[in-house]
Amino acid sequence: MIQKKDCVAMLLAGGQGSRLYVLTSKVAKPAIPFGGKYRLIDFPLSNCINSAIDTVGVLTQYQPHELNAYIGSGQPWDLDRLEGGVHVLPPYMRGKGGQWYKGSANAIYQNINFIEHYDPEYVLVLAGDQIYKMDYSKMLAYHIQQKSTCTIAVIDVPMDEASRMGIMNANADGTVYEFEEKPKQPKSTLASMGIYIFNWRTLKKYLIEDEADPKSKNDFGGNIIPNMLNNGERLMVYRFDGYWKDVGTIHSLWEANMDMLASKENSVNLFDPNWRVYARNPTAPPHMVGPNANISHSLVTEGCQVYGNLENAVLFHSVVVEEGAQIRHSIIMPGAHIGRDAVIEYAIIAEDAQIRPGARVGAIFEPPSKPQIAVVAAGITVGTGCKVAAGALVDKDIVDEEAQS
Amino acid sequence: MKEMHGLIFAYDASMRLRELTEKRAVSSIPFGGRYRVIDFMLSNMVNAGITDVGVIMRENYQSLLDHLGAGKDWDLSRKRGGLRMLPPFGFAGVRGSSYRGKMEALQNVADYINRIRQDHVVLACSDLVANLPLEDIYDHHLNSKCDITAVCGQKPVGAPENETFLVTGRKERVVDVIIGRAELGALETLGVYIISRKLLESLVSYCAAHNLHDFERDVLQAMVDRLTIGTYLFGGYAAKVSSTSTYFARSMDLLRQEVRADLFLRDRPVKTKVREEASTYYGPGSVIKNCLVADGCYVEGEVENCILFRGVRIEKGASVRNSIIMQDTHICTDAVLNFAITDKDVKVNPGRMLMGHGNYPIAISKGSAV
Repeated sequence: MIQKKDCVAMLLAGGQGSRLYVLTSKVAKPAIPFGGKYRLIDFPLSNCINSAIDTVGVLTQYQPHELNAYIGSGQPWDLDRLEGGVHVLPPYMRGKGGQWYKGSANAIYQNINFIEHYDPEYVLVLAGDQIYKMDYSKMLAYHIQQKSTCTIAVIDVPMDEASRMGIMNANADGTVYEFEEKPKQPKSTLASMGIYIFNWRTLKKYLIEDEADPKSKNDFGGNIIPNMLNNGERLMVYRFDGYWKDVGTIHSLWEANMDMLASKENSVNLFDPNWRVYARNPTAPPHMVGPNANISHSLVTEGCQVYGNLENAVLFHSVVVEEGAQIRHSIIMPGAHIGRDAVIEYAIIAEDAQIRPGARVGAIFEPPSKPQIAVVAAGITVGTGCKVAAGALVDKDIVDEEAQS
Repeated sequence: MKEMHGLIFAYDASMRLRELTEKRAVSSIPFGGRYRVIDFMLSNMVNAGITDVGVIMRENYQSLLDHLGAGKDWDLSRKRGGLRMLPPFGFAGVRGSSYRGKMEALQNVADYINRIRQDHVVLACSDLVANLPLEDIYDHHLNSKCDITAVCGQKPVGAPENETFLVTGRKERVVDVIIGRAELGALETLGVYIISRKLLESLVSYCAAHNLHDFERDVLQAMVDRLTIGTYLFGGYAAKVSSTSTYFARSMDLLRQEVRADLFLRDRPVKTKVREEASTYYGPGSVIKNCLVADGCYVEGEVENCILFRGVRIEKGASVRNSIIMQDTHICTDAVLNFAITDKDVKVNPGRMLMGHGNYPIAISKGSAV
């Protein structure tokens, strides 16, 4: 006999994240390292457990190995449970053959059996590529109190950003009357965060109808939500006013990491003992800071050896920064090695990349233009004295002293 | 490589460690920024493929139990075998507070020993900081066909009055055992022995029957002519923590590159209880030189030649030098520390000064406010 669950979370983690280019050529977007110790998926998973939701389906299909290994039994998030816990849900074969997840709604449709197994009243749909802390249990209480069919978390964005997002047009009482994807003339600044709570019975009906419609793109924002609105279902917005960042691009990924260095009010507070963000930890000794190092306004974690200079830097585990090296406004992912006197500015250095002595990656930018972030892909070597221009994406070794742009 | 069983003696509470062992056994003293001393031996065993480990404890073991939990962090939470805690039975007639020796400790867990499913047992102390190649030592033991193999250090490790020294003769066999006195040419044991389960069982019952309780004195020394005792010479870094000043000195050893290279190996990592922490943040005005720092710290002041444990906070204007600052210690603004050891959860209020000396560092007890 299966214990009934009140709410099951479904985490959409199948996206390729193509706008992250070389960073996602080998891993799914939710597995990208973030904030020194985490991966993107740690944020929604930690939110779930901190909101007392202990049953989570993670829908994967693009480059899933690293993500699967990372999630494992779910133990780091306390999601290894006798009933429920975290489950990785890839697309699978069935009677008449199987198919890839065609869209976000189709991914949930293909896992109706998984959800039915727990017989929930509510289903929480989440994205795997956002940085925020949110108590879903409060949103669920609001959903129940408002007798809503679907509650959509929204965040107030500046007017100039509204035209790049999915906008919920709502009445004063919070009921949604219209959804507009990337409107040219936004009527409101309430952007959908891609976080939904549905009454499961109703959602199931819509998913089945949507699947039967050959013209549908099987997408929540594009199909399910508009269909529900057309049928007069009660949709509510749930306003969220904390830190929230979608990290779909190189620039937003860099910016969100830099936000981790900002004051606690302007970012996710990672030091809050009552709302911890959990992660799978590497086994590494404490980090060593050398006698001639200078570190300012930076995050450093286990396994690092810092003998050079850091300013506005986020270092992941097991990074080596040799003497005389200078890292400014940059993100150095696990295992990267920064050689003597190398200079890294406005850059993302991916896992296990080797920056040889005297090399230069990226450059200081002149305000008011936006910084151009240089990226060195995982495992790539930038040779001694080589130069990587601002904003360049490097996914091949640079061995001689040749500039790449 | 599944043929060894681990037994760790974690009952010894040394009085020479003053404030550090007020509330815990030696084996659970915080060490090296994020470890407890026992982590090194547990990791040695796990890294050698040992899946079953018994930990013998006697007193002050709350902190140890809390640290070890179900053994998950060492991958020792298993259906069969895994980590087994062996606290004392509360029967009447227990003498004194601590076991008088390893044999007495083993007699107390005789039932457990009789159920060991491996053919060989590693007997190990819990206060040794070393990254031992136990797999090699095991091979060495099998090839030498000795009854007991004692792991010995190349350089002095502990205080001589606490240690056992072995004099070897032909074919590296031990011919004499000296206890409590270093002698030229004698090898210092690290307190790690490999022995067959069968021999261990019979020695335990023999010693019980003869009211003998010390392993070094009543087995190694008394039976040196009857048993073949071999040695394995370990050349890497090894340290024992026997007093506050040696604790301080051995901790500071970790600031040396060659010591860290010996202890923190990629293929034999030291595992410990995971505490969910963010990275350490260094503020804009912070000055940090030559330090070993764990995660979750918030550093805004000046820190030099220090070891910072997890969750330490150093405010602006504070100056901390040559000190060991344990978990969740909070050093307020303008406080000055030199040659100090602050235990867990200590708070040093603004402007306070704590000055010790290299030979006699000031130790501040767990949870106190200065």
